[in-house]
Amino acid sequence: MRLLRYVFYRVLQIVPVALIVVVINFLLIHLAPGDVSILLAGEDANPEFMATIRERYGLDEPFLQQLWSYLVTILSGDFGQSYRTGEPVIGLIMERVPATLLLAGSSLAVAAILGTAIGTAIARRPGSFLDTAITTLSIALFSIPVFWLGLMLILFFAVRLQLLPSSGMITIGGPRDGLGHILDILWHMVLPVAALATVWLGQYVRLARVSVSEVLAESYVTTGRAIGYPERTIMTRFGLRNALLPLVTVLGLELGLLLTGAVLTETVFAWPGLGRLIYEAILARDTPIIMGAFVIMSFTVMIASLVTDILYAALDPRVRL
Amino acid sequence: MGRGLRLLRGVVSTVPGALSLAVVLLALVVALAAPWLDLADPVAMGREVYKAPSAAHWFGTDNFGRDVFSRVIWGTRVALVVAIGSAVLSIVVGAIIGAIAGYFGGLVDAALSRLFDVFLLIPTFFLVLLIVALFGASLPMTMFAIALTTWPRSARIMRSQVLSLKSRVYVQAALASGASHRQVIVRHVIPNGIAPILTDGALLMGLAVLTEAGLSFLGLGDQNSVSWGRMIFEGQRQLRLAPWMSIAPGVAMLVLVASLNLLGDALNYAMNPQLRTRGGAPRRRGTAPPPADEPGEGHGAILRVDNLSLAYRVGRRQIVAVDGVSFSLSRGGSLGIVGESGCGKSSLGSALLQTVPNNADFLSGTVSIDGQTVLAGGRPIARQGRLRIDALRWTHIATIFQSAMNALNPVATVERQLVDAYRHHRRGASRAEARERAGAVFDLIGVPRSRLNAYPHELSGGMRQRAMIALSLMLEPKLIIADEPTTALDMLIQDQILGEIEELRRRLGLSLILVSHDMGAVSETCERVAVMYAGRIVESAPTSVIFSRPSHPYTRALIDALPDLTGARRKLASLPAVTDQATCLDACRFAPRCPHATDLCRTVSPPVVTLMDGHDAECHYAADFAPQPREELVR
Ligand code: SF4
Repeated sequence: MRLLRYVFYRVLQIVPVALIVVVINFLLIHLAPGDVSILLAGEDANPEFMATIRERYGLDEPFLQQLWSYLVTILSGDFGQSYRTGEPVIGLIMERVPATLLLAGSSLAVAAILGTAIGTAIARRPGSFLDTAITTLSIALFSIPVFWLGLMLILFFAVRLQLLPSSGMITIGGPRDGLGHILDILWHMVLPVAALATVWLGQYVRLARVSVSEVLAESYVTTGRAIGYPERTIMTRFGLRNALLPLVTVLGLELGLLLTGAVLTETVFAWPGLGRLIYEAILARDTPIIMGAFVIMSFTVMIASLVTDILYAALDPRVRL
Repeated sequence: MGRGLRLLRGVVSTVPGALSLAVVLLALVVALAAPWLDLADPVAMGREVYKAPSAAHWFGTDNFGRDVFSRVIWGTRVALVVAIGSAVLSIVVGAIIGAIAGYFGGLVDAALSRLFDVFLLIPTFFLVLLIVALFGASLPMTMFAIALTTWPRSARIMRSQVLSLKSRVYVQAALASGASHRQVIVRHVIPNGIAPILTDGALLMGLAVLTEAGLSFLGLGDQNSVSWGRMIFEGQRQLRLAPWMSIAPGVAMLVLVASLNLLGDALNYAMNPQLRTRGGAPRRRGTAPPPADEPGEGHGAILRVDNLSLAYRVGRRQIVAVDGVSFSLSRGGSLGIVGESGCGKSSLGSALLQTVPNNADFLSGTVSIDGQTVLAGGRPIARQGRLRIDALRWTHIATIFQSAMNALNPVATVERQLVDAYRHHRRGASRAEARERAGAVFDLIGVPRSRLNAYPHELSGGMRQRAMIALSLMLEPKLIIADEPTTALDMLIQDQILGEIEELRRRLGLSLILVSHDMGAVSETCERVAVMYAGRIVESAPTSVIFSRPSHPYTRALIDALPDLTGARRKLASLPAVTDQATCLDACRFAPRCPHATDLCRTVSPPVVTLMDGHDAECHYAADFAPQPREELVR
């Protein structure tokens, strides 16, 4: 019951943030150089279409009225149409989401699990040579521009060794159903996932190292040692169990960063996800798609942080509901 | 600017810190000097296209025949301009707004903090991307967009800095002397709060470089500048033909960004050195075999400590926390160890349990618990690779920590923790058996069994402390070390809990060591008292004797600090504050604060004077003080 109330309040807190995102979008459109209706309809839109757009967004009405119309339109899920194809933006974006989720989700899983394990291991010996070396290395890893790493992987594994596919999600003319299809996708995922996971791995090693050693300095860990538990038990039952929770929160907060990496990686590997869509939209100057993607990404991050907060509250007895 | 120098020294004292600082400085020099370096024109096209790296073109040439090496060098300029530009913009705006939020507090703070939170949830890269896509791609626009999304970061840091600074003396003094808010913010608050923001600034710069590169890579880079991101963007299409086009700028970017991030990291550690080494698993210490002449379990005193010394390593300094302490505790006896915080009493407690932190070393000492030696000559005793103390933990020696300090695992119920401890030591005990024991212990200390299912944070302070006591009793230990068991509880509960501990001790025949800063608490609970000062026991005696004939000036001061009958607590401040701890060995440690110090005290360390059987004091004039009634000595 208390959890339910907490969920309710957290959802309430999200609402103003969502509104602000939409308002930012609105202000940007109006501040940007050029005619608003052209930005919304596209440069070579015919006069009739232009007129419907002006009508829909209330462009001939007073400013605040326009803001209101814009809010209503966006919040009803209408992000306008693509210049190029005339298709609704929301549909184009939703179509791409699964591929992005697949890529980002698998990379995240690899990075988070491996990173937590390594970070926990080096937290046992803070200040040691191994700790300094791995910490330095992990900082170097998350300093790599992910798209560049992708290119280097392509260069080595696809061009030099001709081992792995360099782009796309499926082999053209390959199997379209059953196990073969899945294996084909997995095969195409190897390089992009490697690129993304490598960069994120650095983040997670570092995060885990910091939060585990913070927990190990707590007095309940000393109690555990005074009781006489072996270090293994201390690490799992006391250390990791307590450190995992802040890690989950950070995961929610850093999702924006993760999505950025995913978008850039998709561009390199021609992965048919959101990133690719954004890239193509930039090349074609298809502004409604870019705006739609920004709003959807923001909403996604907000909802993700909401979900992690609720998860945290459910997992951690300490959170005051 | 002594602090700046100290920071710098902290940074260069580690290999990654020194290297990263060197790289960042080198990049700065290269960027500034680029026009005067003998470089090929980075934008001049040539006929030699797609040339692999050679002596003439170190990094090869690109699809227009431009020299890649020269372009990478010029790219450094662009990268640093973007990095510094966005970071400075972000920090200036953020620091001012953050300072305003923290300084004025109230509604201003609430509103601004909400705004910072909103930005935390917006995926910044996509906002930057949208801005640049709408307003046109150029370097200034990129910097502006980056700063627009990152300033709340600086603002948040500044806000929390200001909140903690606000109460400091000099800010209060400035305000009292009639300075305006603006003056105080500009002169005192911002300069003092800026250090952590600058640390974050290094990270911001790295982020800015990556963001600019990401934008360029998506085709939203400044068309007129040579940026690394643009070079990779162009190189991507020639990946098969001329891989060097994309390799070189990527490596340059990686090196610069990694250096910036490492520098931020090193700065952070230089400001908070304890962060680097705290926590961790206990390190292995050299062990010794059990001595031949020990009395064995069930014989001799329950605890015997001989010449125990413990020191902490902090940086290059060594701080001796426990300095040659000896005492023993008879079976069923109780001893209070009293002293101010920092006198070494808690270190002594953890030394007995061998739960000292990794930067602590046993310099000397022999400790035996229940007739079994666990430490000899400063080395833990081990047999067949197993520490002796491990076999005694919780079954012979248990501890009660101050529970306000998170002494219980926050993510497990109290019952779970009691049951786990029980089953860890009673191998083969069933869960039901362990539960029954937990219930019995709760009955013993008079807490309803229904509280067993609570998590520590769900209990009141007093209840949590009782849960900790229950945990310590689970395996019927013979000796309990209670380290400030009632600190941070309100007075009424303190008395109750002390009473309960004393009651339990008598009923169960336990031996007890009570570590406390409170002479009063100890007097109610313990048969003997040992007063600790600067790592040494300066006086020890039966409780009644300590109160009737205190013979060390420090003991007298502690007793005088007790609340008198009216309840008003006199401050220990009647003594001068602690100066730097006894630096000179040939003197009484207490001399700098002692109202009776003489030249003898300042040049010769006092001997242990035995005033009567069981009453020792470490003071030149102990014998003179002992018979005097207390009042006469207090001025
Ligand atoms: S030895 Fe001297 S300085 Fe030290 S406590 Fe005694 S009187 Fe004071």
